[in-house]
Amino acid sequence: MSPTATRRWCRATRVAVLLVSLVPACRRGDRIVVGAKNFTESDLLAELVAQQIERRTALTVERRLHLGGTFVCHQAIVAGEIDAYVEYTGTAFTAVLQHVPVQDPDSVWRAVAAEYLERFGLVWLPPFGFNNTFAIAVRRADAEREGLRTIADLARVAPRWRAGFGYEFLERADGFPGLARTYGLRFAAPPTAMELGLTYRALADGRVDVIAGNSTDGLIPALDLVVLEDDRRYFPPYHAAPVVRRAVLLRHPEVERALAELAGRLSDAEMRRLNARADVERQDLAVIARDWLAEHVPTP
Amino acid sequence: MSLIEFYARNGREALGLLGQHLVLVGISTAVALAIGVPLGIALTRRPAWRRPVLGTANVFQTIPSLALFGFLIPLPLLGGIGARTAIAALVVYALLPIIRNTYTGVIGVDAAVVEAGRGMGMTDGELLRLVELPLAVPVILAGVRIAVVVGVGTATIAAAIGAGGLGVYIFRGVATVNDTLILAGALPAAVLALAADAGLGALERRLSRR
Repeated sequence: MSPTATRRWCRATRVAVLLVSLVPACRRGDRIVVGAKNFTESDLLAELVAQQIERRTALTVERRLHLGGTFVCHQAIVAGEIDAYVEYTGTAFTAVLQHVPVQDPDSVWRAVAAEYLERFGLVWLPPFGFNNTFAIAVRRADAEREGLRTIADLARVAPRWRAGFGYEFLERADGFPGLARTYGLRFAAPPTAMELGLTYRALADGRVDVIAGNSTDGLIPALDLVVLEDDRRYFPPYHAAPVVRRAVLLRHPEVERALAELAGRLSDAEMRRLNARADVERQDLAVIARDWLAEHVPTP
Repeated sequence: MSLIEFYARNGREALGLLGQHLVLVGISTAVALAIGVPLGIALTRRPAWRRPVLGTANVFQTIPSLALFGFLIPLPLLGGIGARTAIAALVVYALLPIIRNTYTGVIGVDAAVVEAGRGMGMTDGELLRLVELPLAVPVILAGVRIAVVVGVGTATIAAAIGAGGLGVYIFRGVATVNDTLILAGALPAAVLALAADAGLGALERRLSRR
């Protein structure tokens, strides 16, 4: 090949490479992908985040809800498959970062925010306000008959009772193994490993006597369940906050401003009410999110 | 941790789960056969039943397993949590190929052969037992083959309702993002499905050659 031809080839290749590299940049630049874990609250918070971004910015939001457990979402956001999802401080601290559970909410928050930025290039935006810890739940009738108020009370009756837990709770360091040690819990049989959603049904239907749900779950009031108090403060704090890829925030600082408006706006009770509208009253997530945003985060 | 290491360390547990898996598939296939074959035959005698029965089996097939479990938990006999409920769900999923292939096999028997049998003075029962069923066996077996292969895969969802099986490793692995654990459940399930497919395939070929 003559030098001129080679040069021409090089230039053509450079132009082609430039064009090809521009295509995804154009496509991705004005679109943001919001993911969610595979339960109602995560879907609902993702919908709130998505609508808030749509209300306040010119970005198009793609929803990838109900993706899977913590690790599926984490891998998706690290790989750049999604740009944002709502995570819980305690989950990130123990399950993702593999730290030993810590009870102090502030130190958990600081550690999580710093390590996510450094290790994954992910930013924790200000939390929504509520704390969704694990909730050890029993039927109200049982709680009243046995006089159960705390998890320590449960240890007394546990040898006669059956438990049904989700796989994540059974496997996690801040899940059942540590709880059993802390409270000396021993059940009649090893806890039945089940899909999380089915444990509520099994409890309401009397197939098991104790489950581990989430403290903001709308099914708790709906199924007339009682959450036992974690009197030995075993469960670390689980404050929910949007986790967003730093690259996205650098390109679109308006996203950070939009989501800052949601900070501290959701109490435990408020979150339980929103979850109940979705799980119990079967309302559409988009409608619930729109109503709530219109009422609590009005457009100035 | 590699898969081999994992099995070396958890061999006993893995074999137990494999056993549970085989029991789940075996019992559910047997029950589905006991229901599906007579039902498929009945459809050839009562053409009016065909649409509603096959339609229902079709609809069952489309119910997601978790939703099906949700419906089953409160039921008195089939329900609850554990192996019984899982088997009930697996039977529901295995029915369609068995009913459909039994029907297709029996109805597809050459009309001339059936006429010849009738001409020899056979009763309806004799005709079914001596002519139609033997000729339909390869097609019925093909349906069983589908049901078993699909069942081996589907039985992994039994772990969602505390019934154990290889799905336990898959659910645990997904909950903790442990690829080794997911493979520890998925790989033997895949091998099992292939083995069942090959075995039933060989049986099918032998029977159709006769």
